[in-house]
Amino acid sequence: MKVRKRMIFLFLLPASTLYLVFFLFPAVWAFYFSVFDWSGFGESKIFIGLGNYLELMNDDLFWTSFSNTLKILFLGGFITLAVAFFMTVLFSTNIRGKKFFRAMIFMPNVVATIALTTLWAFIYNPKFGLLTNFFAALGFEELSKVLWTAGDRVFYAMLIALIWIQVGFMVVLLLAGADKIPFEFYEAAKIEGANAWQMFLRITIPLMWDVITVAVVFWSIWALKVFEFPYAFFGITPPTQIYTVGIYMYIMGFGKRDPIYRLGYATAIGVLLLLVVIVVIVFLRRVMRREVYEY
Amino acid sequence: MDSEGTIGKYELPPTKSTFGTKVKKWAGLIPSYVILGLWSLFTIFTILWVIASSFKTNRELFQAVWSLPSTFRIENYIKAWETVKMGQYFSNSLIVVLASVIIVLFLSAPVSYILTRVKFKGSALLLLLFIAGIGIPVQLLYIPLFMITTQLGVINSLWGLGILYVSLSIPFTVFILSGFFATLPKELEEAATIDGCSDFQVYWKVLLPLASPGLITAAIFNFIFLWNEYQVALVFINDPDLRTLPLGLYALSNAMQYTGDWVGLMAGVVIIMVPTIILYTVLSERMIAGITMGSVK
Repeated sequence: MKVRKRMIFLFLLPASTLYLVFFLFPAVWAFYFSVFDWSGFGESKIFIGLGNYLELMNDDLFWTSFSNTLKILFLGGFITLAVAFFMTVLFSTNIRGKKFFRAMIFMPNVVATIALTTLWAFIYNPKFGLLTNFFAALGFEELSKVLWTAGDRVFYAMLIALIWIQVGFMVVLLLAGADKIPFEFYEAAKIEGANAWQMFLRITIPLMWDVITVAVVFWSIWALKVFEFPYAFFGITPPTQIYTVGIYMYIMGFGKRDPIYRLGYATAIGVLLLLVVIVVIVFLRRVMRREVYEY
Repeated sequence: MDSEGTIGKYELPPTKSTFGTKVKKWAGLIPSYVILGLWSLFTIFTILWVIASSFKTNRELFQAVWSLPSTFRIENYIKAWETVKMGQYFSNSLIVVLASVIIVLFLSAPVSYILTRVKFKGSALLLLLFIAGIGIPVQLLYIPLFMITTQLGVINSLWGLGILYVSLSIPFTVFILSGFFATLPKELEEAATIDGCSDFQVYWKVLLPLASPGLITAAIFNFIFLWNEYQVALVFINDPDLRTLPLGLYALSNAMQYTGDWVGLMAGVVIIMVPTIILYTVLSERMIAGITMGSVK
């Protein structure tokens, strides 16, 4: 069927213009900015080649941020997917109220990040927080005195909260994949004498592989650019223990309470982040490619 | 999605139940109920706790953290809405987010339609280019966008924020909508053309109405995402009067470290949660179906 070229043009024009001007062009322009020493929006730029990137390689705070981001990606990703998978198995039994449980577990995903950080600030609050009160009520004096967000612990305290939010999203995704596996497959396997573990390995995992791939890709993109939750988790100035690459870039560009305006340096961080995203996605596509089972 | 008691599309085979097998069946379900129940309970409890606290005084909160408020005071809400300007921020957010959601749908639907239904040279590549934005970290764009919005004179304005919201939401919206358009039967256009529809009418009168579940899903997702987001607003809005609700709450929670006004903050948290939780309560099935649509065939 022939649609006039003019219509194609008119249909694509408005969105393409915005997307080009406010998304693709800035992304490419960032590469250009990243090779300058540039100390403010009104200031002149001094070309330093790969200077920013070389400096980053020796910047301890950058490496802290980078390793935190990787911890969220790998450690956080592993725990989140494991918990979500376990819950999917629990959901695949004959329980009543499936929809209710699923809706409740997904709920944190619709609540504003700022509301969630406030909630967790209270949960961990050492004076009258939920954890402190909970352990005190049970008589665990020692545990009730733990400062949950002190020192290096703050990162893991934050990670637990992040996992709590994301598990809901992953459960919904994995459950949809599990629900479409025909029940007969399991019956047939049972008759053949397969045990639960074998069925999980030979039926569930292969037939859910496409959904698992999507879940892993979603997680990776999300984890690499995570900013909002860790940035607001500790109040006005996030401690360096919870810096992610996204946070470090924002702080180098715009500062905490006082501007820093190392604009070239900040964009170099952003460019590196984009490159990491690309590498991870290409890697995942390679590793996770399997034959898709049609059934 | 399945109703209770089924796995996949298939009813479980009826079992001849004696008392013994019934007990066994129930016992096997206990771990599921306990774990899923506790997890759900935690979420419900924390949300109810925030709501209860928002009606207390700070004194009441510190003395009895768990108790219900002695009387339901709405002072915290009045203070949040007027003194802390949450009312103003609420309307800022509502205007920017609603306008952005409507505009992004208006712009993305034609793109998704053309690139999935009207194949031409390079259409697949173009679609990929639109969706590729999902992988680009938004932080990378801040400094170039700062330059561009300053040049255009829209920085630090709700107009500028809206333009950014629309542009940044295009990749995800095209992703969802193109998934929808691609599933509609191929014969639709031919039939409509034979019936005398012009090319534009085919889109406007036939395809677009059929894609309305996709439009609704995309609208809900964009609304919830933009209503909750604060990092773009943090970079591009400086004027306290122009703050969006999450930005206002962020400022309030920072100020709380000095004022110690927890209950006031809780009232702010409730104000920001109410619209998305209402949407979710009404449309959770639609949302959950939307997540799985693009990723599960």
